[in-house]
Amino acid sequence: MTGTRGFAAQLAEDLGPEDLRHVLNVFRGDLDRLSEVLRVSAAAGDGASFRRAAHSLAGAAGAVGAQALEQACRLAMTRADIGAAQMPGVAADIAALCQGALAELAAFAGGLDRA
Amino acid sequence: MSEAPARVLVVEDTPTQAELARTLLRGLGHAVRVSGSAGAALAEARAWEPDAILLDIELPDYNGFELMRQLKGEGIDTAVIVVTANASINTAVEAMRGGAVDFLVKPYAKARLSVTLANALEKRSLVAQLRSVKARLDRDRFFGFIGGSAPMQAAYRTIESVAASRASVFITGESGTGKELAAEAVHKASPRAGRSFVALNCGAIPRDLLESEVFGHVKGAFTGATADRPGAAKLADGGTLFLDEIGEMPLEMQVKLLRFVQTGSFAPVGSSRLERVDVRFVCATNRDPMLEVQAGRFREDLYYRLYVVPVELPPLRARGGDVLLIARHFLAQFSKEEGRRFQGFSPEAEAALRGYSWPGNVRQLQNVVRNIVVLHDGERVEAAMIPPPVLRTNGSAPDPTPVPAPVAIPVPAPVLPDPVPAVPEPFWSGPGLAPEPVAAALPPPPPAEPEVVPLAEMERRLILAALRRTRQDVPRAAALLEVNPSTVYRKLAAWRAAGLLAEA
Repeated sequence: MTGTRGFAAQLAEDLGPEDLRHVLNVFRGDLDRLSEVLRVSAAAGDGASFRRAAHSLAGAAGAVGAQALEQACRLAMTRADIGAAQMPGVAADIAALCQGALAELAAFAGGLDRA
Repeated sequence: MSEAPARVLVVEDTPTQAELARTLLRGLGHAVRVSGSAGAALAEARAWEPDAILLDIELPDYNGFELMRQLKGEGIDTAVIVVTANASINTAVEAMRGGAVDFLVKPYAKARLSVTLANALEKRSLVAQLRSVKARLDRDRFFGFIGGSAPMQAAYRTIESVAASRASVFITGESGTGKELAAEAVHKASPRAGRSFVALNCGAIPRDLLESEVFGHVKGAFTGATADRPGAAKLADGGTLFLDEIGEMPLEMQVKLLRFVQTGSFAPVGSSRLERVDVRFVCATNRDPMLEVQAGRFREDLYYRLYVVPVELPPLRARGGDVLLIARHFLAQFSKEEGRRFQGFSPEAEAALRGYSWPGNVRQLQNVVRNIVVLHDGERVEAAMIPPPVLRTNGSAPDPTPVPAPVAIPVPAPVLPDPVPAVPEPFWSGPGLAPEPVAAALPPPPPAEPEVVPLAEMERRLILAALRRTRQDVPRAAALLEVNPSTVYRKLAAWRAAGLLAEA
């Protein structure tokens, strides 16, 4: 998650702790919803829906500077070698990255509260 | 917050990005709305008219470039900033070609957003200002005026600037330059436009009647004053009082006018009761008002009261291409009135019109075009149709020296003495005001036995007298005689052909 903390610090400076927490809550909701859409699309082998969900996840991750998650989502959108058979695995990897990004940002927000 | 608050529409379907943009923009002091699709954004843009749009390209219904095309097609004027995760040159170029002012690459910090938005809004404001200035500079019509020359644009701007205030306006310019039109423009562009515009020609009113014309009179104020009669001041209450040829006002009347200008109140002739009105003064003269002050013919204190905002109307010879604009306008108008086929002027005729110095200004040009239309017909006006005095001076540079009287329709002094009594001019003009002859307020003069001459001779004398009275202004002379101007033109042409008129 290199870079997430740097951009999150920038966000904290721009927004202040209260607004940052609000944005992170919206981000959490996006990840929960979109990673579920990704998982269901992968299970159904629906490539179009899979790519749309990956695109939205990439946008949400990019907005808060979760670079590793954003890059993984963009690869999932564009890689030609991801077929129906590979989609569930890719979705699982992205779900793990989502949890990692959320944990990192939660830790950062907790740090803000203690500061 | 360093920027002025703006209305910003965020078009974004990912809640995290939309919320981040909303929070940052609110922190910058802007009003923010969010649309999650292109269709919703278009509806919001129509209803809310945002100053700027932060536009994501990838949207669920159709993409941001298509939305930009629709916004442009509907004439929705807003600064579009494209927000993209892809910082490629192609995306930037396509965004700018599509009408975007700038683009932002995600993720963006508050400072970057602030600068980009401020630049976009400033550019939009400058474009709007430029459009407005160009519209003002390019206009060739203004409240009845025709002309797009630089001196006329300056006059339009002054009139526009002063219209909203109560400040007195002093219009100067040669005869026939449109001083009354300028006064009407001041009135029509002002908040008083819905009230009366009352014009009074101080030079046309007999000295002993002027006070009554301005302030009105009460019954019995003088012989012939059989009823109370309101003056121009009362009739212009809430509106505009235009005092034309103010330099002709006698000094004793200037004292009374000064008091009225200072206090807003006056007493009608024959009454001691003061009446108060709310009047905006517009004055005009074809003389240099300061020279009139220095010569002792115009009170200095009144001059300073009235000469608050000067408007100088340029002579036609200083208005370049306006001559042809105006000539074409009159040609179309008179051709329609007279049932002629004229569509325009030949190049030679246009050159002749442009080459002439027009000492009688627009009024003279109007007379010349009317003369042409009445006496000729065809698809276009040829140089040979233009009255000789205009053609005679053509080919030389415009003559800057004004000639005392218009020469388009040369009217020499009649052979016989003119026994025709002065024809009273209509002093008044304005909504609901019928012209009232002087005789209504004056004691009737003892009837003089007119000389008996052939009817045709009497007609000629009367027409020539009317022309002298109006300084060769055929339409005004025709109005005094209550005939069509074409009748006067035809008579003049016939008399000239019969040798009854000498060429000027």
